[in-house]
Formats: sequence, C-alpha cells, structure tokens
Amino acid sequence: MEVLETRKKNKRRWRYASASSGRMAFGLLLPTFILVGFIVIYPLIAAVRLSFLNYKLTEPGEIHFIFVRNYLNMITDRIFWIAIKNTLLFTFCTVSIGFLLGLFMALVIKELQTKYRSLRALFLIPWVIAGVVIGYLFMYMLDVEIGILNYILKKMGIIESFLPWLMRADLAMAAIIVTHVWNQAPFFMIMLTAGLMAIPEEAREAAYLEGANRFQEFRFITIAYLTNVILISTLLMIIRNFNYFPIIYTMTGGGPGYATTTMVLHIFTTAFEKFNMGSASAIGTTWLFILICLSMLYTRMMKESF
Amino acid sequence: MHLGNRTILERIFLFIFVIIFIIWTFFPIYWMISTSIKPTLNIFDLPPKFYPKNPTYEHYVNLQKGSARITIFFMNSVITSTSTVVLSLAVAFPAAYALSRLRFRFRKIISIGVLSIEMFPLVVMLIPLYLLYKKLHLLNTYQGIILAFTSFTLPFSIWMLRGFIDSVPKEIEESAHIDGCSRLQIITRIVFPLTVPGIAATCIYTFLDSWNNLLFPMMLTNKPSMKTLPPGMVLAYVGQYKHDWGGMMAASVIVSIPVVLAFVLVQRYFIEGLTRGALKG
Repeated sequence: MEVLETRKKNKRRWRYASASSGRMAFGLLLPTFILVGFIVIYPLIAAVRLSFLNYKLTEPGEIHFIFVRNYLNMITDRIFWIAIKNTLLFTFCTVSIGFLLGLFMALVIKELQTKYRSLRALFLIPWVIAGVVIGYLFMYMLDVEIGILNYILKKMGIIESFLPWLMRADLAMAAIIVTHVWNQAPFFMIMLTAGLMAIPEEAREAAYLEGANRFQEFRFITIAYLTNVILISTLLMIIRNFNYFPIIYTMTGGGPGYATTTMVLHIFTTAFEKFNMGSASAIGTTWLFILICLSMLYTRMMKESF
Repeated sequence: MHLGNRTILERIFLFIFVIIFIIWTFFPIYWMISTSIKPTLNIFDLPPKFYPKNPTYEHYVNLQKGSARITIFFMNSVITSTSTVVLSLAVAFPAAYALSRLRFRFRKIISIGVLSIEMFPLVVMLIPLYLLYKKLHLLNTYQGIILAFTSFTLPFSIWMLRGFIDSVPKEIEESAHIDGCSRLQIITRIVFPLTVPGIAATCIYTFLDSWNNLLFPMMLTNKPSMKTLPPGMVLAYVGQYKHDWGGMMAASVIVSIPVVLAFVLVQRYFIEGLTRGALKG
C-alpha cells in the first residue's frame, strides 16, 4: 500500500514538474529562436521594408522611399501575370498528374507479394536526387539532336521529326511538368502506400460482404480512409511547387521567352539579374502573402499532430 | 484480395504495370550512369547505343581538370552538409523535446509557426539575406552557408523528431524521474538513445536538403572555390560546355551517389518519419 502511495505521489509531482516547465521550454527553444530570427524573421521584415524602397544594386546612391510604386509597377507588368498563370498551370499539372501516377503506383505495388514490397523504397530515389541533376538529366534526354526521348518517340511513330522540347514555347512547359512528375510521383506513392497500409483489412472485407464490387470498395472505403493523407500530401506539394526553383532554372531558365517563367523565377531574375531589389521584394512580399494563406490551411489540417 | 486468388489476366496486367513503373523510374537513372561511361563519340551516335560498348572513365577524370574542379565542390558540399546536420540536430532535438513533452504557453503557436517556415519561398528571404550577409562579411564563408542551410532545414527536423519523441512512452520518463534522474539526464540518457532511428532519419533528411540545395550556395557565394556541388555544376555547364553531356552526367552521378546511399541506408525510418504526420492527422 505504502509503495503505491509513494508512486502516486511521485507521479503527481512529475505532472506538476511538467506543468511549470515554461522556463525550461524557453531554454530548449532558445537556439531555434535565435537562428530562425536571424535567418528567417529578420529577412522577412526586411523584405517587406525593401518592397517600399527604390533599391537597385546598380544605383546605390538612389535608395529612397517610394511608397507603393514597386507594387504598382508589379501589377502593370505583363510578366507578373504571365508568371502567375505559369505558376498555377505548372503546379496544377505537376501535382494532379503526380498524384494520380503516385496513387496508381501505390495501388499496384500494394498488390505485390510481401517480399517485393520492401523494394518500394527504391522507387523513392527520383525524389532524393538533386533538382540540378534532374534538370540536366532531362535536358539531355530531351535534347533536340541526341535526346533519347525524340529517338524513341520517332521509332514508335508518334512524332515525325525530332522536336526541340525545351526551345518551343508550347512544348517547354509540358517538358518541365513531365520532369517534375518524375521527381514527385514517388513522394505521393510513398505517402499513399503508408495510407493504404493503415486501412484495416476488416473494413474492406465488410464492404465485400455487403456485396460491394471492387470499384465501390475503392470509392467508399479506400478513398475515405485516404482523405487525410491525400489532403496533406497534396497541399504540401502545392506549396513546394509554388516555391520550386532548381529544375526549371537549369532546364529552361524561364524561357523560351517567358513560357516557363514561374513566380520564383520572376523574383529571382528581377533581383539577381536586373538587380532591382525593391521591385523583387514587392513581388516576393505579395507571393509570401499568398503562401502564408496556403500554409495556414496546411497547418490547420496538421493540427491533430500538435 | 491476395495474389493467390487472382485471374491470369489480372496477374498479367499487374506484371505489365510493374515493368512500366520500373522503366519509368529507373531508365533515366540508368541513362545517366550509362552516358557517364560512354566515350564522347558514342554519346553522339544515332541511333543511340542503349548500353556503353567501350566503357571509359575519361569523363570522371576530366571533372578534375580546369579551374572548376569537382573535388573542391565535393569537399565544400561535405563540409557544409555535415556541419548543417550536426548543428541542426543540436538545435532541433531540444526544441523537439520541448514541443513534445513540456506544457507551456504559446506551445501551439510556436509549433505552427515552426512548420509555417517550411512554406516560405527561399528566394524572397534571399534578397535581404544577401544584403545582410554582405554587410556582415558572411558571403563566401562556410559559416554563412551552414547558417542558411540550418535555418531552413530546422522546421522539418523539429517536426520529424517531435513525431519520434512522441512515440517514446511517457511512463519510461516518469519512472526515470522517480528513480531520481534530472530532466537533462532523462533527455540525454533515456530519450536520446531511444530515438536513435528517428534521429538518423532526420539527419538524412537534413543532409539531403543541404546537399541538394541550389539557391543559397549559388547566391551567397561568388568565388568558385566556395561553391558546393549544385551551384558548381551550374557554373561548370554554362555556355560552351552546355553540350558536354558525358561530363555533365559523370558529375550528376557523383552528386547523386552520397544522397542515394544515405537514403537507402535508413530508408525504413526515413519513410516512417515522412509519413507519420500525415497518417496521424
């Protein structure tokens, strides 16, 4: 009895210790606050400030407050709207195709015998390879003279002559999307496989017992269980693609013309090729605002894990 | 619904799809490796040779010639990525522990804030960061790159580690406390050893993220001798070298080997850490 009493007391004391641990938490979090403050929060505030300045690296003597002129220039600039359109198109296609392919792969791989299932991790390799490498690899495979894709498509009779994939405005975006799908479908596959594995076998069996056919089982049981995984991984990938840079930068640099200029490339070019830091910050701040709205949606979905 | 009670037709379809997925996923990688060991002349062959007939190491040897040597980039990548892994773990582990185990004010807001940082576009931060680094003389320094890498891998590291710490039963900590362990002892002697797989997965994630990062090292360094592999590749294959496919693919292989190896090594925990949050939500 006495032992039990003491244990209870100690347990209570532990709980109490947990409740009054604000100072300790602060200590443990302090390094994070310092780093994030220095590298993320300060630049964030500085970017908003810069967006109201006429700050060009080429005219260092001319830095002064110009209120919202950077923003006005931004919305009257044709390229800004092209970049918005391109970003939406690129993200929508990459995420939807990547998702469908990933789902299909997950469903097929799940049906394999258990001993082959462990190999599914290898399918994630395209996802861990550097964007720069993927960009160059696909640039090579899509090359107009020696690209393997042109050769295969011509051999199969799909195209009549070799196509300059990355040099034609109407093809470049498609090429960029296919490359990103190659890179990202495995991520969806892994997330969805984990989701599929978590579906209790009884739920599916019950559906079959009730007389559901395979399609109905998929529609009403599998999809229902997967909803959360689908929402979270899709939203995460939308945000990632909104910010994605290396593959497009290495493959087309935003060209030909502005055919593949997404928001990130537009900001990058304005800042580091035209050296107009003020203008770039205005575009960046606007973009950041959109992203913060999206990330609030994301964290709301994730709130269960906090 | 197991393979046993499938019709022949279903088995054939399954087989065909698996073959298509394997080709779709691995052919580009095969093509990269195969081109990297083809003699330059054969790379331009039409029709292309699907396998290297006279394998050669010339492209790999050539990567060491000229001013942009790959070993310099490689060393820079190793130094910055491994330092980022160490620093990031040292900062993220205590933070993850606090968010997982301690109850304090603003805990939820901090958790959400940390996760939101993931969503910020690097390129927007890069502009003021570039100006700040210029003022503080951090451009072209390892410290500068490591600090930038760490801050941007930190949120996901904290979040991933947190998931692993959450799964350590509280009772173990409680009994350690009853035995007279201090909080610090509990963290270092109990929680840390129990989450080693999670720590490995998180370290690999941090490593991948910094190893593959292009924007930061490209803009925060302008000396070739300070560039890491991704910006080094960009530097090496502009203009006249744009069609040195053999060299480009050899460099690609070298950039990819460490990340693929690291990933394969801890893939089980890596995938667990990646998918945990979405499953729980």
